[in-house]
Parts: sequence; C-alpha cells; structure tokens
Amino acid sequence: MDISIVNNDFYLSGIATLVDDIDKQLMVILRDGRTLIAFLRSLDQFGNLVLHQAFERICVGQQYADIPRGLFVIRGENVLLIGELDYRKPLRVPLFEVSIEEILKLQKEDLEKKERIEKLRQKAMIEHGLVDDGNPIEEHY
Amino acid sequence: MLPLTLLRTAVFHPMLVELKNGETYNGNLISCDNFMNIHLRDVICTSRDGDRFWKIPECYVRGNTIKYLRLPEDVLGLVKEDVNERPTRSGPPSRRPYRGRGDGGRGGHAGGRSGDNRKGGGGGNRGGHQGSRGGGRGGQQGGQFRQGR
Repeated sequence: MDISIVNNDFYLSGIATLVDDIDKQLMVILRDGRTLIAFLRSLDQFGNLVLHQAFERICVGQQYADIPRGLFVIRGENVLLIGELDYRKPLRVPLFEVSIEEILKLQKEDLEKKERIEKLRQKAMIEHGLVDDGNPIEEHY
Repeated sequence: MLPLTLLRTAVFHPMLVELKNGETYNGNLISCDNFMNIHLRDVICTSRDGDRFWKIPECYVRGNTIKYLRLPEDVLGLVKEDVNERPTRSGPPSRRPYRGRGDGGRGGHAGGRSGDNRKGGGGGNRGGHQGSRGGGRGGQQGGQFRQGR
C-alpha cells in the first residue's frame, strides 16, 4: 500500500482515498460525459462503485435538471473523476433549475450545434491537409 | 458490501445494463461472475439513440463492455439480509492448492504478500477496509483479485 506523508498527515494512494468518502454524497463524472450525484456505498480494488439514490444532473449553460436514477453499479474504468460535494459553499456561477423535458430539449439543441461546429472544423482541417482520426481510445463514447 | 457482491445478490432481479457503446439491455440477471460477465434473460435491447429495439430471449454480455448497471433499490435491502445470514468465515480458505509459501494463507490474511505484488495486494486489502465481516471478507477479496490478475 502506498502511503505518502506530507506535513505530518498521511495520504493513501489511489482508490484507498475513496474509503473515506463512503456514505458521502459525491459527484461522479463518467467518461461519456454524464454527471451523477449520489451516495457512495461501496467500492472495490478496480474502482467499481455502488452509488445509491443517484441522480443524473444535466447542465446546459446555466440551466440544469436532475433526473433520479436510483441504484447504480458503475464499472471503475468508466469513471473520469469523483469529487466531494460541499453544499455549504455558495455556487460561484449560479445555476437555475428547469424541468427535465426542457433540459433534454436544450441538450439536444446544444448537441446539434456542437456537431455542426465540429463538422465545419473537420472540413477546414481537411482543406489544410490535416486529418483528424478522432480518439481511438475513447471511440466507444 | 462489494459492488460485485451486490450484483450477485441481484440475481433474478430486473436490471438495466448500459454498455460502453451506449446500448442498453433491460432484463433479468441470471448469473454473473468476477469479471462482471453477465447472463440476462427476457432482454430488451435499445440502441444508443433510442430509436431501435430488439427483444432477445437470452443474452450474454462480456464484463469489459459494460459501462454501468442500474439495479432496483430493494436489492440493497436484500444484501443486508444476506450478510446477516452467512456465517462468518474464520481462517484461510482451503480450496486452493498451496503454492510454496501458502497461498491459502494470503487469502485470509492482510500482510502476507510478496514484494512485487505489494501494490496489488494493497489494492486487494484496501477494498476490504469497509464492511464488517472479518475473514470472509478477506478471503473473498483475495479470490476476486486473483481472478482479475
């Protein structure tokens, strides 16, 4: 087990740090871009997580909506980051809640806009003789 | 309770499996293993965009293609029952044949790993910190980790 001692505090490396976060409400971002907020119930050496009372938070600009999702078992390799939530701190950028239908509509429009920009970018790159193969590691997402 | 333990408890329950490619499989879990390979029955497969559907009587999903699984909330309650029912295991699991310095011992104890395996061993034991069971947890953890290797 890797332990580092900094200023008389000791820090465990890797997944062991998450043991302290059990039963806390965390924000988990997956590699496909989804944001989940849930209570961490357990984990294992692969970083597989059990998330309880999870909801998926979709943000478009400053608007957001929470979709309740329930109980999750997430395969560890799909996690991008896990962060502790501190509700006491005020949001630096205020977010406004909207209905789920509204946010899904906004998300679709946002996605279409991004796709159009990406298409133009790719076209411009090809005109300059550069080819973008995309990201072969993240091709599933 | 470990994630894979929760999955094992959820056998015969309905669940949603989302793969890395975005397809979702809704069905009842028949079996699963330590690699997270799962066997589902009465499955409805939905494409990534949600526009195509297939009804599949039985399917097998390889563990490494899974992004996540969504289970019904009552499965959590079931696991707590299972934990109370199972008798606590004491001592090393005797199933595996002894390899030189006693592999069975490693399964049950925390510190007996060889030098080059330290990180892996630490990972195996780190996972075992939470939860209340003693030897049973250690043995199970060891078994799980060994297969992953």
